[in-house]
Amino acid sequence: MLEDVREYGEAIVTYVDDEGYPFSYPSGYRIEDETVILEKRDWLKKRSSDKVSLLFNHITPLPTGGYMDRRYIVLWGGVEEKQDEIRFTPSRRYSWDENRVHFFQYCEISVPRGRRYMQLLERELGRKLKPALSLFSLFFRVTRLPFLIATVVPTLLGAAVAAYHGIFDPLLFILTLVGLAAIHLGLNMANDYYDTKLGADNVNTTPTPFSGGSRALQYGLITPSAAVAMFSSFYALGLGIGLYLAITRGLVPILSLMLIGFVLSFFYTAPPFKLAYRGVGEIAVGVGFGPVIVLGSYYVQTQSFHIAPLLASLPVGILIALILYANEIPDKKADALAGKRTLVVRLDDQTVMKLYKALIALVYVIIVLTFAAGYAPFTTLLALLTIPTARKAIKQISETYGNPYYMIPGLATNIKLATTTGLLLAVGYIIPAAYNILLT
Amino acid sequence: MTFIPNHVEKILENALVCAFTCIDENGRPVTHPLLPLYERGSGNIYFTSSVLFSKKLEYIKRNQRVSALFSNRRFIKSDEFHVVLVQGDARVLEEDIHHGWEKLLPLWRKKEPYIDAYVKQRIALPLFWERSIIELTPRKLYVWNDGDMSREPQIYVR
Repeated sequence: MLEDVREYGEAIVTYVDDEGYPFSYPSGYRIEDETVILEKRDWLKKRSSDKVSLLFNHITPLPTGGYMDRRYIVLWGGVEEKQDEIRFTPSRRYSWDENRVHFFQYCEISVPRGRRYMQLLERELGRKLKPALSLFSLFFRVTRLPFLIATVVPTLLGAAVAAYHGIFDPLLFILTLVGLAAIHLGLNMANDYYDTKLGADNVNTTPTPFSGGSRALQYGLITPSAAVAMFSSFYALGLGIGLYLAITRGLVPILSLMLIGFVLSFFYTAPPFKLAYRGVGEIAVGVGFGPVIVLGSYYVQTQSFHIAPLLASLPVGILIALILYANEIPDKKADALAGKRTLVVRLDDQTVMKLYKALIALVYVIIVLTFAAGYAPFTTLLALLTIPTARKAIKQISETYGNPYYMIPGLATNIKLATTTGLLLAVGYIIPAAYNILLT
Repeated sequence: MTFIPNHVEKILENALVCAFTCIDENGRPVTHPLLPLYERGSGNIYFTSSVLFSKKLEYIKRNQRVSALFSNRRFIKSDEFHVVLVQGDARVLEEDIHHGWEKLLPLWRKKEPYIDAYVKQRIALPLFWERSIIELTPRKLYVWNDGDMSREPQIYVR
């Protein structure tokens, strides 16, 4: 109980005085076996049981103001006077060290208490209370809006390949983008809803900006029924636009792609398939955000299929699957507890990293081979410019593997890798397309 | 007018952290290191507490008798140093837990200059920024001048 107590400069001794107020003073101390020996003070009389507390507190003040390196220990126990010493025997303890439990994790662990307190306060104040966020912030958080980039990139890529093949309608492109974005936001919210219902997000005490879901349901930002209403509306909007495009651009091909996309998206976490819980979620995401979106976007423009957009979709699909794959690393413990058998849960840590490196290498091999086979213009090799970013992502993730908060920069680099590679690929198709338009 | 002498006000104003104690339902002292925000004029000391760490708020609502100890030299950014124990009565102000505590930001900013950056990131930790104010009205001070604990403290009573 006293192992880590030696590291502090002073003990704050506290008891309740005869007037019923807490009385505290600082004291030097030393540890002997399971006893804290305090300096003798006349005002500390014999107090038994657990009515005396000791606080050991540490911060490192910063010259610029503020402080860091917070840790403290509180002991409760009784004291006894022996000769010139006061001997404190602890019976209970409580502690926090931000180097062991990160502040964000400390907050996350305390969320149930915070929500209980807000419910108590609701009764006291006689009005509803929920965390205050502006409407935009709420929408941003609840839908995980920044992840929309994973839809924008393949949609743009499909349209870019179509433009390279000489066909591009901006209105159709916008309709495709809005429809797919709605499906993606529906997916994000359905994923949060079912991960909460199935327990994975509830047991996760180390979420990061990239993993652990939006936490909207855990924090009480929205109710489960509001989440269902929202993701149903997003799906309805996406499906409505999809149906319009199917009727006007090609019923069977577009409906087929929509059906595949919907099944992969909705049953990613939803029963009965729960793809993410069976170790195929990464493949589902790779197929959905790669070939399905790129081919769909291409088909809407050209009303035909071609091997070129399929080949172009593979690097993007792999990289977006790798966003999910890397983001699963900090969630490994919580996912395993909830029975969510993701690839990261199924594989050992070394194999997870080997597979990550191998798939990144495969991305660049596909880009080069697609060009070499004549299915992509020379300018798509621009995507190779992201190789240093790939090396950086591998280094950062390897070095911080398993520590949720230290992994955040690596996870951010991993997302940057997927988006910039996808965008550069799209630019690689757009450059010759624009050149052709200028020539004609 | 406050009964707190000027040399003590300097300590209360410049301490980065103090040991705040309330009393639990079993009569045990419960001490937390907290950031004290001293308001000259009223002579009150304010603290804010997130709903995430709300146990102390429940204790204060049951028993308003609390104390705050200012003792560690390293935590007090002032040329003068005295150990100060403030005993007093606390109340919890939580009519508006969303924004009520923001009136304390000018005092908070002096001790944690980076606080505005965190407040702007409210979206990242929404429940952390739902905060109650603890208002401590001092009734008795124990002051060990120059931090000399071997001497009897000077006592000031409201």
